[in-house]
Amino acid sequence: MTTGISLVRENAASMAPPRSLWVPFPLGRPLGVANDPDFQHRVIAAALELFNSNHGPVLEDFPDDAPIQQTESALACPVTFIKSATTATSWQDRLGRELNTLKPWHDLGKRRRNGRTLTGVSNSSIDEIIQRLAEYLDTATLPSAELAWFKHATEDAKTYYLEALTAQPDEQDPDNLHKIFWTQTLLADALIMLAEQLSSTIGLEQFARILVPRRALDMRANFSAAD
Amino acid sequence: MVRLADLPDYEREHLLAKNMPPLGPAAWVASEKPLAELRIALVTTAGLHFRNDPAFKFADATFRPISNHENADDLIMSHSSVNFDRSGFAEDVNLVYPIDRFKELESQGVIGSLANVHYSFMGAGLMPEDYQHSASQLAGMLKKDRVDAVFLTPV
Repeated sequence: MTTGISLVRENAASMAPPRSLWVPFPLGRPLGVANDPDFQHRVIAAALELFNSNHGPVLEDFPDDAPIQQTESALACPVTFIKSATTATSWQDRLGRELNTLKPWHDLGKRRRNGRTLTGVSNSSIDEIIQRLAEYLDTATLPSAELAWFKHATEDAKTYYLEALTAQPDEQDPDNLHKIFWTQTLLADALIMLAEQLSSTIGLEQFARILVPRRALDMRANFSAAD
Repeated sequence: MVRLADLPDYEREHLLAKNMPPLGPAAWVASEKPLAELRIALVTTAGLHFRNDPAFKFADATFRPISNHENADDLIMSHSSVNFDRSGFAEDVNLVYPIDRFKELESQGVIGSLANVHYSFMGAGLMPEDYQHSASQLAGMLKKDRVDAVFLTPV
């Protein structure tokens, strides 16, 4: 028998699994709050409680939202991104410089997390990833021959940046975090440029959609409009 | 919050497109044991695996084993979707895969025991029926591990 968590109530209602607890938390956070064992235990207890139901399918709603996180986190960004001020001309140079500003912060964050990092899915170092991404842009070529590596490498690079931006142990609002990444970093510019090139290549349109979230394009549009 | 009314139109439509009819036949099994006697396995669709395991492909119906005895902090994620935030998982593996919480429940006697092996799928890019073979295979392995109940977490 099964019980479990659902993040999208409508999906659970349509498929009707035997027991499901809908939680009003953001995608990516099914237990609600990081490093909050008490809150996580409340969510688990509510889902386990469904084993006491005599009839199914049963879909219950968790009653509480996750506690609201600090909104001033954007001000705690440890890095000043200077993409518009740089005089370097190649992507290799520009992305390399940006990576160097992040390295101390990534190291700090990794130490804070007791050595834990989510990077490494591509089996390439961050230096190699940035170098190869820049190479594609500098030579106006596409990674058509290594799409699997490319996808994992872009996720590794994004993860590296987000882990650096969260080097300090304060609560980070994920929306602020992603807004900083997608509107202020050269890596975001690079990924969007590559995604645009891939999306206009026959057979690679779908692949382009798993590089950059649509929400990121909205963030950049809103950021430009407010600039 | 994943309340559809709070999301932009394109995200709402994307998520609603995942509504599917029940697979059927109805699979209701009433609990025959108290919670304190249940042996429980965790199954997630978050695309988790250990660093040396093969990463998930863009659309991939296979699953990865996660030993109950290995350090879950060594898990990484190769989910193909870009539509959710991973920074919380970077902070705390339990936010997605609540293994430490379940170990606490086991030591407190709230649940009976934990399976020797838990599992991760990568939920993206495929229809529910595409997972049928893997799900059947997994069910057999759970039976062999004497698992009474599965706790499912999405991402």
